[in-house]
Amino acid sequence: MNVEVSRRHFIKLTGAGVAVTAVGAFGFADAEQALAQSIRPFKLAKLTETRNTCPYCSVGCGVIMYSQGDIKTGEKAEIKHIEGDPDHPTNKGTLCPKGAALLDFVRSETRTLHPLVREPGTNAWTQLTWDQALDRIARLMKDDRDANFIAKNKDGVTVNRWISTGMLAASATTNETAFMTYKAVRSAGMVVFDNQARV
Amino acid sequence: MTETSGSNQGLLNIGEQAKPPVAVLPAPSALFKSRAVRLAALAPGHDLEPYLRFLARLTEAQHAAAAALPAANGPLETVTRNDVPPLADARDTCSDEARAAITSVLDHLGEADLPEAAVSAIRSLRAAPAGVIEALALRVLRADPAADEGEDTVAPDVAQLALVAAGLQVHFSRLAAKLDVGSLDSVAGNACPACGSAPVASAIVSWPRASNTRFCACSLCGTMWHVVRVKCVLCSSTAGITYHAIEGKPDTVKAECCEACHAYVKVVNQTQDPALEPLADDVATLGLDMLMREAGWKRGGRNPFLLGY
Repeated sequence: MNVEVSRRHFIKLTGAGVAVTAVGAFGFADAEQALAQSIRPFKLAKLTETRNTCPYCSVGCGVIMYSQGDIKTGEKAEIKHIEGDPDHPTNKGTLCPKGAALLDFVRSETRTLHPLVREPGTNAWTQLTWDQALDRIARLMKDDRDANFIAKNKDGVTVNRWISTGMLAASATTNETAFMTYKAVRSAGMVVFDNQARV
Repeated sequence: MTETSGSNQGLLNIGEQAKPPVAVLPAPSALFKSRAVRLAALAPGHDLEPYLRFLARLTEAQHAAAAALPAANGPLETVTRNDVPPLADARDTCSDEARAAITSVLDHLGEADLPEAAVSAIRSLRAAPAGVIEALALRVLRADPAADEGEDTVAPDVAQLALVAAGLQVHFSRLAAKLDVGSLDSVAGNACPACGSAPVASAIVSWPRASNTRFCACSLCGTMWHVVRVKCVLCSSTAGITYHAIEGKPDTVKAECCEACHAYVKVVNQTQDPALEPLADDVATLGLDMLMREAGWKRGGRNPFLLGY
């Protein structure tokens, strides 16, 4: 698609020709000069608008997140506002009350930022690394599956079910992610499984 | 859910579904009047006050011309065919009606209390033979790089070009008003579905059933057409879109910058301030263009009253 910037504009922008502007040509060069002087001390502020999907439920509403600063260029960025994406085919700019409160969700002081564990018999949450957390989950799942896996039912028919552990997977995922999650979890025999957060 | 209205200061219209039309055609009886009112309202205390007052007067003249001209013949073509907007052919010639519109704007503008440069542009345009006016008009209408290249040994008078463009805006808004909006198809982000011209700027509108959607405003006929937000209207890229505003000033008018084509087109946010008018506020935020130029960005919006930027 062509970029509609005329060559004449471009030549003037690059300083190759003497810049004649409409403002000057009508005899208002003084005002133009005054504006150029008064604007000189000001700086440009960079803002971004980013499309994303609401993380709450399986409807997958589109949102636009407004932030100040550009994180891609190493600036510190802060989200100022979140609203429904009017161009998104699912929600056409609308949001449910939970989606409308997304900004508070992003900024919440009680938001979980890293893996935490509460050991059995204690009431304190302790922080651990992702590796530790995943190792621990894998270990506990393996132990539980080894202890409670049902290979055959009472009639001797092979059923291969594992009903003592359940899994609640993410909601704002793609079809492909949901498919992979389903295959991984069901192949372990897990029956108690839901792939959308209807909460 | 019932529709709600009001500003979004802390409250969102979360139940309002946006179903934006492809385009909204101009109403010549209101287009120029509301623009003139906005220009006059922007003027007091502005660095460009005399220029904004002059443009308010020129826009009033456009309004008067639009009302005074005899009923326009309908355009020959009225539907989008093969991605060609219906008024594209009309941009290849300067008809008698177009010339009459240019003359009518000059008649209503008058000469009293105008700067010498403006008066001399008006007089030489009045005295110019039809062929010269036609050449100026075609320059405005075609606005393609090739046309600019060959003839640039004699640079046209920028003030005359802007005056001719003012007349053509009247003519084309009257042509566009006769189209049936249902027969228009979107052509491209940077081309008006009625006449194919480039946008002045775009506006995030607060219209019922289209709230918060973005429409580009045509620099020639005044038609507004829907373009998805956070997307470059010039090259349709969606990667690397950022917005620049002047630090410490209201960010109701922002420059939508595209890293793919390194150009920007302004966006005026009417949900924040319903009084914003794309063309008028484009001129009034010339300071932003000055800062953007210094930062190395190309201006992508076309505004006949900011020629040279």
